[in-house]
Amino acid sequence: MKFEDESQNLRGRMRTIQLVVLILLAVLGVRLYYLQIANGAYYAERAENQRVRLLPIPAQRGTIFDRNGHVLVDSRPIYNVILSREELKGQDFGALVAPLANGLGVDADILRERFDEIKSQPAFESIPVKQNATQADIAWVEAHSAEFPALRIEQQPQRRYPENGLLAHVLGYVGEINPKQLESAKYKDKGLKPGDIIGQEGLEAVYDDILRGRDGYSKVIVDSRGRIQEEIERVPPQAGQDIVTTIDLDLQQAAEEQLRNSPTGRGVIVAMNPNNGEILAMASYPTFDPNLFSQRINTKEGRAEYAALLRDPKKPLYNRAIRGRYPPGSTWKVPMSVAGLQQGAITVAHSNLVCGGGIQIGNKFTRCMGNHGTPDLRTAITRSCDGYFYRLGLKMGIKGIMEMVDEFDLNKRTGVDLPHELVSWTPSPEFKRRFNPHDPEWKDIDTVYASFGQVYDIMTPISMLRAVSAIGIGGQMYVPHLLKEVKPIGAVGEPNQPDYRPARPGRTFDEVRTAELPDANRPNPKLLSIPADQHQVVVEGMWGVVNNGGTAAVIKMAGFDIAGKTGTAQVVGLGKDVGANKDHSWFVSYAPAFKPEISAIALIENVGFGAKFAAPAVRAVYDVYYRKTRGGDAAPQQVAQQPPKVQSPKSKVPKRT
Amino acid sequence: MVALLEKRHFRDFDWLLTLLATGIVLFGTWQIHNAQPTENFWKKQLLGLAVSLAALFAIAFTDYRKLLHIAPAFYIVGLILLVVVLVPGIGMKINGQRCWIRTPGIGQFQPSEFVKIPTVMMLAYYFGRVRQRALAWKEIIIGCGILALPVGLILLEPDLGQAITYMPLLAVVLFLSSIRMWLVITALVLVIVSAPLAYTVGVKTGVLHGYKLERINVILDPESADKRGYGYHTWQSILTVGKGQLTGTGGRQPEYSQSGLKFLPEPQSDFIFAVTAETTGFIGCVLLLIAYAVLLSRLILGARRSPDRAGMLVIMATVGGLAFQIFINVGMALGILPVIGVPLPLMSAGLSAVLATFIAIGFAVSVQLRRFVN
Repeated sequence: MKFEDESQNLRGRMRTIQLVVLILLAVLGVRLYYLQIANGAYYAERAENQRVRLLPIPAQRGTIFDRNGHVLVDSRPIYNVILSREELKGQDFGALVAPLANGLGVDADILRERFDEIKSQPAFESIPVKQNATQADIAWVEAHSAEFPALRIEQQPQRRYPENGLLAHVLGYVGEINPKQLESAKYKDKGLKPGDIIGQEGLEAVYDDILRGRDGYSKVIVDSRGRIQEEIERVPPQAGQDIVTTIDLDLQQAAEEQLRNSPTGRGVIVAMNPNNGEILAMASYPTFDPNLFSQRINTKEGRAEYAALLRDPKKPLYNRAIRGRYPPGSTWKVPMSVAGLQQGAITVAHSNLVCGGGIQIGNKFTRCMGNHGTPDLRTAITRSCDGYFYRLGLKMGIKGIMEMVDEFDLNKRTGVDLPHELVSWTPSPEFKRRFNPHDPEWKDIDTVYASFGQVYDIMTPISMLRAVSAIGIGGQMYVPHLLKEVKPIGAVGEPNQPDYRPARPGRTFDEVRTAELPDANRPNPKLLSIPADQHQVVVEGMWGVVNNGGTAAVIKMAGFDIAGKTGTAQVVGLGKDVGANKDHSWFVSYAPAFKPEISAIALIENVGFGAKFAAPAVRAVYDVYYRKTRGGDAAPQQVAQQPPKVQSPKSKVPKRT
Repeated sequence: MVALLEKRHFRDFDWLLTLLATGIVLFGTWQIHNAQPTENFWKKQLLGLAVSLAALFAIAFTDYRKLLHIAPAFYIVGLILLVVVLVPGIGMKINGQRCWIRTPGIGQFQPSEFVKIPTVMMLAYYFGRVRQRALAWKEIIIGCGILALPVGLILLEPDLGQAITYMPLLAVVLFLSSIRMWLVITALVLVIVSAPLAYTVGVKTGVLHGYKLERINVILDPESADKRGYGYHTWQSILTVGKGQLTGTGGRQPEYSQSGLKFLPEPQSDFIFAVTAETTGFIGCVLLLIAYAVLLSRLILGARRSPDRAGMLVIMATVGGLAFQIFINVGMALGILPVIGVPLPLMSAGLSAVLATFIAIGFAVSVQLRRFVN
């Protein structure tokens, strides 16, 4: 260095600079070692995670069939327009509302609301913009992909239910899982995530685990804006298992038609095979359209429709067969008769009791609808003699009535495979104390009331049908049910892979019931001890109701002996025409009387006498059953042409039937 | 005579330096291709290399003393360019910064890259005389003034990244011009003490907030920073570097790389080092750092052999500028420094930067070529 000056120590300063440069480079090297060698695997995984995404492939939900193989519910693929998350990072949703609402024909308010909801959620994969997109919508999305790169089309199976609300209460419906359900014991650890579709009501809910498939997924590489570059792995979904119900579509349609055409359009018809508990028809009216929940609930119109259903005083969402509780009126006399014999209050040989046109208890006279002298049990059932049953009830006592309730499971759920079944209210001193705290003591007059199906007896139709069906076949009381069979489904994937979905076997109702339904360990059937002679008397009495000039003689059917019992349940004042609060009309029955194949119950709300409305409704169901089982030619005459064999009920004082 | 001169020139010419610089540019071009295989940045870079090599030879065979003699003229032209770029219509605005001039034929160029050279020349011109005494305050102030004019104009663009790269030029020149050691130490201590102090006070008083705070926080704790917001660049760069592990991907499947999937922003320029780390791994990165170390050491060696102070100052200022840019850029890519737009010398795509660096190296070669000439 020719210019070096010792005093400046230039050489040292240049070395210092060189040293500093090398130190800085070494610092970078150390940092490189930390990132690439010490933590390389970790960062590689993090980088992998952000470029690999799992897209669920929704599994097809199982189809629901009727007992004859008719499709009741299936799924079909629909296309949804969605906005994917990544691309909306930090974007203003507001600017998207107007163009999307215009382009896809969705309601701007709903869209705005959806965007607002999503904003408060930290993690979301996508926002549904339009469900059930049309070809035109899909074309629009494709045409505008440059403008709105976040828009995507996604295929999803959608549940399709029968039209006109057919079987709505039985089938139920599916819907998105809600946060509470995600936490609940039933769905926890099932690998479900927000937005998944589960059964929310009816059979869809009870057999959700069977019907629901196991979603597959597609592993894709995405870019930083979430656009799919390539699929690198695909695990196919396993469809849900199909189920066959016990429902007979023809009987179901007949039952629903009867209710639809009834004067109030409100009521229940349930038909069942008493020999095994298979429900052939279960109609509750008014009904609703389950497609609302599976297809339209996320639209403005759908929500308005749902709100209207909730507000409707006729309660269309409510399955009256298992949740409706009504005083059973004279249908109550059927179990009373059996219990009276079982308990020895009367005997087959000596079953006569005084009618007396009614009964005097203290200073209160409770009337019978007529004066039947001293009828035997047969006649008392056929003519529906209240006076007889007041005295039978007094002979049995409240204790005897409570025993009967226990015997026929009237104070328990029937165990039907539907959610939310209610328990009937049955008479007991305890019930009175709760029900009438001003006069808590149980008196004879209460026993009288409890013995003819009023005041203390409030029954669900299903529990009454179950008890009467058991009586009809001589004492085997089956659990009423809607599932006939679960179909098997094959395995998906390779057995030793983690994504392997093993085959799921076919099963019968009893196998499912004992494995996973509540009350799995209750005996099915429950055996009642009804001696043959006692059984005979009661059946004869019920046969007479239809076939021997009884209260339901109008529905007599040639070649098909119906045994039944009418009932007229007091709502405000029995027998009085009080407009909207008229009596409920009941009919409970089985047929053929001496070898039952089918049992049926009908309840029509607020129409009046049992014989006039409920009995013909049941008859219409039997007509269809008859045609199906015994050939079309034997189709019986029209109900209306049947000459009445009893006197017009109007001719006397208001009656109880 | 001419033949003799040519022969001597050929022998004394610093081939190692030139080859090293060319090699780094070629390596960088491969990385640019990895980063943006479908764009033609890498082709432009090759074109730039050709132009730059031509410039290097032209400068190298010119007597640097003649150039230094008219340093004030270059300096004034440089300042005029920096003014011109600010004129709307001539200066192009990209990302809010007006730092490009578009010229017909050549394309666009960035004056702030080139003006480093006249600035260094001007500093060498002023401080290059033979020194007898320690640096006077007056000299320090004049040095600051020489720097302040271009830096001030660059800040008007505004291009903070470029402005910062001018600082080490003056620092090195002052350091090698007998600035008193206590001043150096005081300045260092002040910086070391005040940085954390300023951070603490800034956060407490709320002066430091928003994206500026986020960009610092992501350095201090990248895991818990806002990875989608202002911490995004740093976090993605860390992931990209870490992903390379020991050997890197070798550039296979570039469409699924961090840059191919567009996770890594500006992969061909500011974050070219992250791309290098992803494709060549630890081995490639360390080799690159060693190449830089050899290059810089070679320059310093050249400075030692310089026939005069001015030549030495030109080379050392170049060393300071390059080392500083390398550290800032790589430090940013490795997540130890905040994100700032400084290109990686010889690696980042950009004709202006490569050309300016080659001109500076050409200057250094020219100084060396004249080491035996008086």
